[in-house]
Amino acid sequence: MLDIENLHVSIAGKKILDGFSLKVEAGQVAAIMGPNGSGKSTLSYVIAGKPDYEVTSGSIKLDGVDLLDKDVAARAALGVFLSFQYPLEIPGVATMTFLKAAINAQLKARGEDEVSIPDFMKRVRAAAAKLNISQDMLKRPVNLGFSGGEKKRMEILQMALLEPRFAILDEMDSGLDIDALRVCAEGVNALRSKERGLLVITHYQRLLDYIVPDVVHVMSKGRIVRSGGPELALELEKSGYADYASEAA
Amino acid sequence: MGALLLNPTPAEQEFSQAFALARPGLPDAADRRQAFERFARAGLPTRRLESWHYSDLRAKLRTAPPLAGKPDDASKAFAKSELEKHARESLKLVLIDGFFSTELSDDFSGVAGVKIRALSALPSDAPILALMRDLSPSDPLLDLNAAFAQDGVVVEIAEGLRLEKPIEILALCGANGGGSRFSRNFVALGEGARASLVETRAEGVGGFGDSALFLVLGKASELDYACRAENGAPVEVQNMIARLDGQAKLRATALVAGTPFLRRQIFATCAGEGAELNLSGASLLRSKEHADATMVVTHEAPGCVSRETFKYVLADEADGVFQGKIVVPPHAQKTDGKMLCRALLLSDSASMSVKPELEIFADDVACGHGAACAKLDAAQLFYMESRGIPKVEAQGMLIEAFAAEAFDIMSDDSMRDLLKTDLTALLESGIFA
Repeated sequence: MLDIENLHVSIAGKKILDGFSLKVEAGQVAAIMGPNGSGKSTLSYVIAGKPDYEVTSGSIKLDGVDLLDKDVAARAALGVFLSFQYPLEIPGVATMTFLKAAINAQLKARGEDEVSIPDFMKRVRAAAAKLNISQDMLKRPVNLGFSGGEKKRMEILQMALLEPRFAILDEMDSGLDIDALRVCAEGVNALRSKERGLLVITHYQRLLDYIVPDVVHVMSKGRIVRSGGPELALELEKSGYADYASEAA
Repeated sequence: MGALLLNPTPAEQEFSQAFALARPGLPDAADRRQAFERFARAGLPTRRLESWHYSDLRAKLRTAPPLAGKPDDASKAFAKSELEKHARESLKLVLIDGFFSTELSDDFSGVAGVKIRALSALPSDAPILALMRDLSPSDPLLDLNAAFAQDGVVVEIAEGLRLEKPIEILALCGANGGGSRFSRNFVALGEGARASLVETRAEGVGGFGDSALFLVLGKASELDYACRAENGAPVEVQNMIARLDGQAKLRATALVAGTPFLRRQIFATCAGEGAELNLSGASLLRSKEHADATMVVTHEAPGCVSRETFKYVLADEADGVFQGKIVVPPHAQKTDGKMLCRALLLSDSASMSVKPELEIFADDVACGHGAACAKLDAAQLFYMESRGIPKVEAQGMLIEAFAAEAFDIMSDDSMRDLLKTDLTALLESGIFA
């Protein structure tokens, strides 16, 4: 599934990822935890293909296909999905138009037929109902005026509709109250499958009570410094990140 | 008579010669002579004339194309074939090279309360002609239009009438599209009337155009007006003169694209208390296209509202101009005026000139203006692309959303849909690809 090897990444001359390696198998949920500034968000952006980052060496492969020479949309069509920490508002673009454009673009890239309007409506309605997303929210422009929780639910809705092969959840828990967190986590758990890999990026162990990972990695100063089972997250919750900051130094 | 300028350009000389030749055959000789003399004294506007600072017409119009004559059979046949491209649900009034064609226009005899006439059919003492003169501000291109225009269409909508279908003024060119075209059109709404008007300017290809449209809104009447200026002549000037009586509402927008050099000038006056004027426009320009929207909004009466929302999308070396002036004389208290211009620059070589002006002599008013020029939002683009939408498509969606906002002022849904469909078609044709 996802295979990152010895990745070195800088932005504006500043090194952020420094020999980062990670494997996530199909069906696996991997969590990455780490202090602020350890490079977690950069990692998610670089996998998705955000411009501005300079990859100086290393590789990112999904199912053996090199992602680094693909543009952002091509990576999405190959099955990469990033749930944003801060989803963007897009005034003037209707949510339904946006969802349909995304689904159809991916189908087209894979050489498949566009979704029919009735099928599309049916799928959106069913997925939205599970996430407590109202018809009114779907009628608004993308994320416009949505609360933090509504935006995160909309991210999970997109994930459900796009059925990615590999999804990254970047700080899904930020800005969420307990109830919203539960709804989002249930949405994510419903999408766990043998074929799909998930990378959950978070500061806090709390999210991992809801989305229980198979493996937990600790990231510091641009690389993984320790790996373990779910118990590692609990340990971090008690001891904090201070030890790891020095370990990587 | 003759050129009064010290060093007339070839174009100015040619206009003088054309006027000397044409004048004996034209009605209202005295008015025309006065108008032409005013034009000849001022000459074609240059950057030195403040209101024309960003559109140097004198430099652009090197020669004056010959006056387009009344359409002959070949021109009528050509326009008829062009007309087929404009099949829409509307009551059509067709102009060929600025001359009203009853043959190609729809039959209005069954439309009660709407009176249609050719401008040339008005007697020289018609009050409408005097009104058009009175409403015309001092401007060289309006003077040129007044001197040369031989025809146009006059639409009068009766008091209280509510027109279901939009009226469409369709300006087409004749078989020889390279002439100078002048038309003078007039639309008046009686008290409480309500209508939608589309003006489609498809004169294109060659020559020079200088058209005028007068909109006179009676008390509490309402008009949705959309100008579609696509594929314009190499040099084109469009004048819109509007007067709103008390409680009247005018919502006027424009979709501009493919115009090598276009100047739209709007002179609007809120003449009666409580009038509401809403002006907007979306210009989508590329290569070296130039579009200028210059407007003067005068609040003659107290308690009127005016809004201007103009959007520009500029690629390559395109050049956008917005000049908006709100004038509030001392007695126009409780005026509420707001002006906004936003430009999206798709290339480093595109340019946008913005000049908002407020001229306020009353003390109890709320007036403001804003302007912004920016690139497409990289974060929004990344977000859309991360969902699999290819970059070009994502850019198209963002551009469409940006420009379409200009059409939200229309209260007639069918007008808004028409403009949005046009906009989508334009973008899908790949103008920014």
